[in-house]
Amino acid sequence: MTEWLSVLFALLVFPGFGFLLACALAFQWIDRRVEARLQGRVGPPWFQPLADLIKLLAKEDVLPVGANEIACAALPMVSLAAVLTAALYIPVGGWVARTFEGDLIVVLFLLSIPALAYFLAGWLSVSVYSVVGGSRSLLQFFSYEVPFLMALSGPAILSGSWSISRIAAQQSQAVWLALVQPLGFLLALVGLIGKLKRSPFDIPKAKSEIVAGPLTEFSGRKLALWHLTMHIQMVVGIFLLVNLFLGGSDVGVTIPGVLIFGIKALFILLMLSVASALYARLRIDQLANIGWRVLAPLALAQMLATIWIGGG
Amino acid sequence: MTKITIPIGPQHPALKEPLSFLLTVEGEQILDSALRIGYVHRGLERICQNRNYVQNVHVVERVCGICSHIHTTTYCQGVEALLGLQVPPRALYLRTLLCELERIHSHLLWLGVLAEYIGFTTIFMYAWRDREIVLDIMEELSGGRVAHAANVIGGVSIDADEAHVASILDRLDVLERQIKLFLDLIRRERSFQARTRGVGHLSAEQIRRYCVVGPAARASGVDVDLRRDAPYAAYKWLNFQVITAEEGDVWARTMVRVLETIESLHMCRQLLTELPAGPLTVRAPRRVPPGEVVSRTEAPRGELIYYIRSDGSDRPARVKIRTPTLTTLITLHDQLAGVHTADVPVVLAGVDLCIACADR
Amino acid sequence: MHWEAILQALRETFPAETIEAQAGLIDETFIALPPDGIHLAVQVLIERFDLRHLSTITSQDTGGEIELLYHFWGGRGLTLRTSLPREKPHIATLTDLIPGAAFYEREVSEMLGVTFDGFPDPYPLLLPDDWDGQPPLRQEESND
Repeated sequence: MTEWLSVLFALLVFPGFGFLLACALAFQWIDRRVEARLQGRVGPPWFQPLADLIKLLAKEDVLPVGANEIACAALPMVSLAAVLTAALYIPVGGWVARTFEGDLIVVLFLLSIPALAYFLAGWLSVSVYSVVGGSRSLLQFFSYEVPFLMALSGPAILSGSWSISRIAAQQSQAVWLALVQPLGFLLALVGLIGKLKRSPFDIPKAKSEIVAGPLTEFSGRKLALWHLTMHIQMVVGIFLLVNLFLGGSDVGVTIPGVLIFGIKALFILLMLSVASALYARLRIDQLANIGWRVLAPLALAQMLATIWIGGG
Repeated sequence: MTKITIPIGPQHPALKEPLSFLLTVEGEQILDSALRIGYVHRGLERICQNRNYVQNVHVVERVCGICSHIHTTTYCQGVEALLGLQVPPRALYLRTLLCELERIHSHLLWLGVLAEYIGFTTIFMYAWRDREIVLDIMEELSGGRVAHAANVIGGVSIDADEAHVASILDRLDVLERQIKLFLDLIRRERSFQARTRGVGHLSAEQIRRYCVVGPAARASGVDVDLRRDAPYAAYKWLNFQVITAEEGDVWARTMVRVLETIESLHMCRQLLTELPAGPLTVRAPRRVPPGEVVSRTEAPRGELIYYIRSDGSDRPARVKIRTPTLTTLITLHDQLAGVHTADVPVVLAGVDLCIACADR
Repeated sequence: MHWEAILQALRETFPAETIEAQAGLIDETFIALPPDGIHLAVQVLIERFDLRHLSTITSQDTGGEIELLYHFWGGRGLTLRTSLPREKPHIATLTDLIPGAAFYEREVSEMLGVTFDGFPDPYPLLLPDDWDGQPPLRQEESND
């Protein structure tokens, strides 16, 4: 019975849905606030992300004639489920729900499901903007995913383990891997921006070009779920980077682990916000160029160097 | 790859005013485009025929929601020529001052729109924030942020005392610092250049073929500016440079417009410091003697031309308005051919469309 | 721009016509020409004087006839004036010489019902697609 309760607690409260939802709303608010301050604006009050979510959930849910209704309803749920599942394997403040050797690979796999669902959503919702946005999102996926994966494999190779918790724990004894592999950390950040489709890589949903990309025809609950997926994905992505590159929660230090972990996560969030305020949106062909001509070779060089050093 | 047709407009997030494009697209490449305007055609030319000359000042002010003052300037200048009125110099200076403030406001607004189109919201916010300085000045002068109702036939209805002039001069310095910041950013920021360089290219030959005017022409190396070529209002007393560039792409148009903004600031300073004393209006009769006049000015977007014919009554027999946007709209077909769909908003922004102007 | 030379060239081109330059109020010169001479005159302006900036075409219904005014600009204004009959007015298009004239001709054509011979795509520019009233800038028939 207690076994069941602890599973339910992990799924629904911590580090499951409840905690992630709270983090997603908080991160979204901080992100909007920081970007607003950088742009000379005030930004929204703290409850705005929650209000947006509730408002969207209450709105009428319409799909155009000819759209695949089952798929359009299933896709946001599948992606939300994938992101939530991924969160179970990521330690937060030294506490993790599930862990095994190789969970990093599972998490990376789970985190790429929303990207594919996003593409399918565009393809199946019969609007030209959605179709263009969908094909862009797929192209973008191929551009950032390879350097992102190679960058994330760096810490794993150095630590000799494919378990996120173990990689994080090893760094608390030694030095943060972001200091050992600054290039890898940077590539992972760029990859994360691409994965989250945040400015300057918000190409698939470029408002002034293709309205809202694949989500143009979504509304009401489905759109709310999509937004929630994106925001939770941001939380999970940031937590992942904190564990892999910034030493997780530094077990053994006197300050509570959760606090340290939170500060590190906020640092990465800040970098994302600043990046989105500082650059213009790129074109998809420019991103593909950067992805394959700059990011991928750099990531490959980094990985080979890591194997050379780590293996030798 | 299959060809698909993407509609841009009449309603679209990238369009602030209604116009419609049907883009034929293969992959992300545009093969053809079909343009349709007229969604905000209000028949203003016909309305002008049914109002008297004084009422028409306010009608033509509604042609454009950005450059309203230049329309009344052009109209009043035409009617004043028909009446043979000599407008007092102080009125001409104040008129020109508002023209130049309006140019700054229009160019900054445009810079913000361009930045938003390329997803650079920070510049968008900054440009529109700094544009408020100009809007405040215009509001203090005339009572209106956009529609100023500052021109009357025979002069202006606004005035500025010395304390006000000094306060405006102070704020223009603040504005100049901000605009220099934009200039620096445009010259150096690489993601901005990646989106604007080489996009929407027009050669000088194309400019001449399509009779394009204004900053779009000047950015392609066609050196035309009616403020210098046919000085009206107070321009004959001012020192200024006409800004040109050679590249002919959206980046060059950005440079031309931002540099023009700085040049306009200098002009505003000259106008304010040399503001002559004297009356603000001369009395204008209600009835206008028969005749016809072609009145041209340099609006923020280029040559604006009014043709006014009088039949001796208190109403014009014909008012023809040609706004500069109409000349640039026709080039869009050439500019869009072969570009990436992502560049469509950039191309549209690059020519600085004012659809309400074009439709009248 | 050599305005006298332009006038001279036009006089040579149309020996049968009496061509008079009429000074406008603001830096503008008006020259009246017969309708079938406009195309040739514009050709002369472009080829001999490189005067190819057509600012716009003004059209107006003066009651007796349809008047077209071609406003050119080359450092000073030059307006070519011509008159067409009210019944089935038509004139040669200028778009083959000046592609930029396309929008102006479309507007004239919808607003006053003038046909431009040889114009490639004579769709309405500003009026709705289903407009079926009379050309809106014509004076009402009852006024005649």
